[in-house]
Amino acid sequence: MRDCRLVSQKFEIENSYTLEVAKAHGGYKSLEKLDQLSPKQCVEIIKESGLRGKGGGGASAGDKWSLMPQDSTKPSFLVVNCDESEPGTFKDRQIISKDPHLLIEGILLTSYAIQAKHAYIYIRGEYKQFQDILQNAIDEAYDAGLLQNCDITIHRGAGAYICGEKSALLESMEGKRGHPRLKPKQKECEWYFGNPTLVNNVETIASVPYIIENGAQAYRRFGTDESPGTMLFAMSGHIEKPGVYESEFGVSMLEYIHHFGGGIKNGKKLKAVIPGGASTDVLTADEVAKATLDYETLRNMGSALGTGGMIVMDEDVSMVEALKNLLEFYHEESCGQCTPCREGTGWSDKLVEKLLRKEATKDDINKLLEVADTMNGKTICVFAPAVSTVIQSFVKKFRDEFEMKL
Amino acid sequence: MFRFNDVNLLKINQLKKRYPSNDALVLPCLWMIQYQEGYIPLEAIDTMSELIKVPPMEIYRVASFYTMFHLEPQEKLVVDVCKTLSCKLCGSDAILKHLQSNDKIRLRHVECLGSCGTAPVMQVKDIYYENLTLQKVDSILEELL
Amino acid sequence: MIELSVNNKTYHAQEGSLLIDLLIKENIHIPYFCYHEALGADGNCRMCMVSIQGQKRPQIACDTIVKEGMVVDTQNESIKKIRTDILELELINHPVDCPICDQAGECSLQDFYMEYGLHNSQVSIEEKVKHAKKIDLGSDVMLDQERCVLCARCTRFTEKITKTHELGIIGRGDEAKVSTFPGRKLDNPYAMNVVDLCPVGALTSKDFRFSQRVWFLQTSDSVCHGCAKGCSIYVDHNKLKYKDDVIYRFRPRRNDAVNGFFMCDEGRLSYKDLQENRQERTVLNSQDIDEEKAIENVKNLIQTHKTSIAVIIDANLYTEEIEAIVSFSNSIGANVYSPLSVYIDEGFEDDMLKSSNRAANFKSIENLGIDTSFPKAERLFINFNHPHNFSAESQVNFLTHKRNNSGLTFPLASFVESAGTLMNEDGIEQRCEKILFKNNAVPTVLEYLKRIES
Repeated sequence: MRDCRLVSQKFEIENSYTLEVAKAHGGYKSLEKLDQLSPKQCVEIIKESGLRGKGGGGASAGDKWSLMPQDSTKPSFLVVNCDESEPGTFKDRQIISKDPHLLIEGILLTSYAIQAKHAYIYIRGEYKQFQDILQNAIDEAYDAGLLQNCDITIHRGAGAYICGEKSALLESMEGKRGHPRLKPKQKECEWYFGNPTLVNNVETIASVPYIIENGAQAYRRFGTDESPGTMLFAMSGHIEKPGVYESEFGVSMLEYIHHFGGGIKNGKKLKAVIPGGASTDVLTADEVAKATLDYETLRNMGSALGTGGMIVMDEDVSMVEALKNLLEFYHEESCGQCTPCREGTGWSDKLVEKLLRKEATKDDINKLLEVADTMNGKTICVFAPAVSTVIQSFVKKFRDEFEMKL
Repeated sequence: MFRFNDVNLLKINQLKKRYPSNDALVLPCLWMIQYQEGYIPLEAIDTMSELIKVPPMEIYRVASFYTMFHLEPQEKLVVDVCKTLSCKLCGSDAILKHLQSNDKIRLRHVECLGSCGTAPVMQVKDIYYENLTLQKVDSILEELL
Repeated sequence: MIELSVNNKTYHAQEGSLLIDLLIKENIHIPYFCYHEALGADGNCRMCMVSIQGQKRPQIACDTIVKEGMVVDTQNESIKKIRTDILELELINHPVDCPICDQAGECSLQDFYMEYGLHNSQVSIEEKVKHAKKIDLGSDVMLDQERCVLCARCTRFTEKITKTHELGIIGRGDEAKVSTFPGRKLDNPYAMNVVDLCPVGALTSKDFRFSQRVWFLQTSDSVCHGCAKGCSIYVDHNKLKYKDDVIYRFRPRRNDAVNGFFMCDEGRLSYKDLQENRQERTVLNSQDIDEEKAIENVKNLIQTHKTSIAVIIDANLYTEEIEAIVSFSNSIGANVYSPLSVYIDEGFEDDMLKSSNRAANFKSIENLGIDTSFPKAERLFINFNHPHNFSAESQVNFLTHKRNNSGLTFPLASFVESAGTLMNEDGIEQRCEKILFKNNAVPTVLEYLKRIES
């Protein structure tokens, strides 16, 4: 395991969230590079680096940046997605509370590249105590004259997982309910009050300073070809040392769990891991042994890297109860806009409840899979397909546990 | 009659300059009301509607969408305990059961608070209380109540 | 115009238009709840999904712009299964209220179920999501939150069309429901249109509630006579056994040239007026008189006062009736009037449909050059249903409704009991056929004139 702290290098330093300490340890150095780079060149560097979005989608950040118009008559905006609500994910909060100036640095670089004059940070409502740290850092930056070219405003959410979906986030920022928007037929940028807008996850933006300062190739030295660089992976659940630990892509999942996590809690046996935050296919212990932490391997295994937040489950966990817990989450968080998701999340929750009460039949299990299928690919956003993937992976891989409850 | 206090009125005026449209002020204003009153009274929505020129029903729809907004006055201390998977795996069930019968608080089962590494977790007012045990929960609540 | 294929047939569509508009226009039946031509697409019901060649996933027709050479399939097995599955999800929490629900017989959910569903209910009554079932929203609209399919048509109506923002969806997930601001009512002049818009029985008319099953109703085309806009309407009526032919409701009829999809509430409820307080018998100074005798009286009166007769015409009569009266008046040497100021109500006008002129056919009065001022004093006034109460030495009235007046009064057929054309304030002509066949039918203007002139 190589030590690769591209984003988390200041996390353990005392008072790392103050401007003084941040600057003393290299903060804002990358801004000097902007004297020699045009906005377009910045976009090219990010593209070349292969930086992938860290909010769960893993799409190429550079491609997304390229969708922003370079010379629009309308003002462009940057929106940083800090609505971190995916179960198992708690990495963005580390950045904003331990190295907020890194994020601000990333914002300044990104807004230069996309020619935005105003950046918003949409932060989940529950993160108030971390929001305060971030706001202090922004105030420090204002006082130091760092924000002359780009204003930063924090916009606080109020408790809705769906507002992490980028179009729902923008709806929420426009003062409306967090209903995801219908997707355009061809690729285009996002729109905030009709103005071109880029939405990126906190960690994605926080990765930009390293890339601009050291170049795309330096970033590519870490990770794999298809998944270059590093990510703030996380572990929670039945693990000795849960937490957020940065690592490059491509390392073996088991090695990561043992090296950083100290192995399974209380010496138990591993049963399953949900690799990338709740909305990814669960992996059995055998699959975990073959898994590496990168987008392509997990995709080929039928799962996904998602947010890199691993939920580790030991041999005593009832998979049926685990599924019920997750379905309750989805049932609570569905925005209710479109039929398959609104009704499907409720019904699948009730079906698994029936199973736990030992009142279900085999038909009910089949029905559960059918409902999961209906939710896949027929809705406005990817919330329902996530539920579908969770249900199908749990039932298919642990079928015997479900049937035992009949 | 609800009115925003002077600090908030100033904030609202400053925020108006930071957004392309006053519609974006719905969330910030709702938060200001909740901090001022402890919840969001209907008449406050009318006041807000006048100020930012968004119809009252539109504001009410938004307020009812989010978990953290209280549309009723809260008499008891609101304690949000996370029940999602990572916390469950680390013992949140026991905490929820323990607090069920505590009638000095309003216990809410909330979804992932983003603190899975320090599970189990609860949030009271704006603060996270992490790495909970039953004893810790009791002593924290004793202090807060 | 561009060319595309749907279900192996070629069609032409306007460039930039929506696929769903083409499917509706060409009667290619696909189910949908949330799309409405006047409100646009919302994409939330997911029922209008179709297969488009080259697209991995089915697409919703309401959000697809037609493209040259597009190949669409609305009937393949996978689309049928998707429809059935989504419909099943729509139904799991829907209460089986059909036996008591007004919408039965004109309910989209029922229709789609019979065509694509026929599932058995798999969620028990204890597990269904429950909401309030009898909310009086005001403006004669009742809301049943459980029946709602959350298509958002009603909320989009109050947002985009009336811009009064009374309705909205509150809550989240499957606890979401339609509501007004707590304590406030639905209160705008077009409120009852949401009853028509609602594809299920969530929003029903308090006026029509429980009064008649829709499959017993006969639907006829007509035009509202409430003002000079002349909104096209459907008249729903039924003649129950041993009873009379009765109108149960008016509904707006789509007319892109006149009223679009909607009508105002006052016009909608004006059907009641046609059935209340009607002049039913021929009377002379409030005493019943035989009709033959009465006609003779009229002829005598005309003879007696032939140099001093004023004929007054209601601007709500049909054009043919007005022309016949003018012709009759000329033949008896009478002056013709239709005082206009009585119909003007500035307060009624708005920037949607309502006109300040409450006379449905004043345009014809204008076109025929009839005097719209008040008549000067004459010895005999013959009033064909004009709303103003005139006083003259002798009076002959032909009235649809009872009034406190003296003179000879004949009962007149209302506009649904007669036929003709009328022209609205924008010059658009519409024809109305006779709709109601009452047990004791009263004569129309033309029938009276024939008798008087014979």
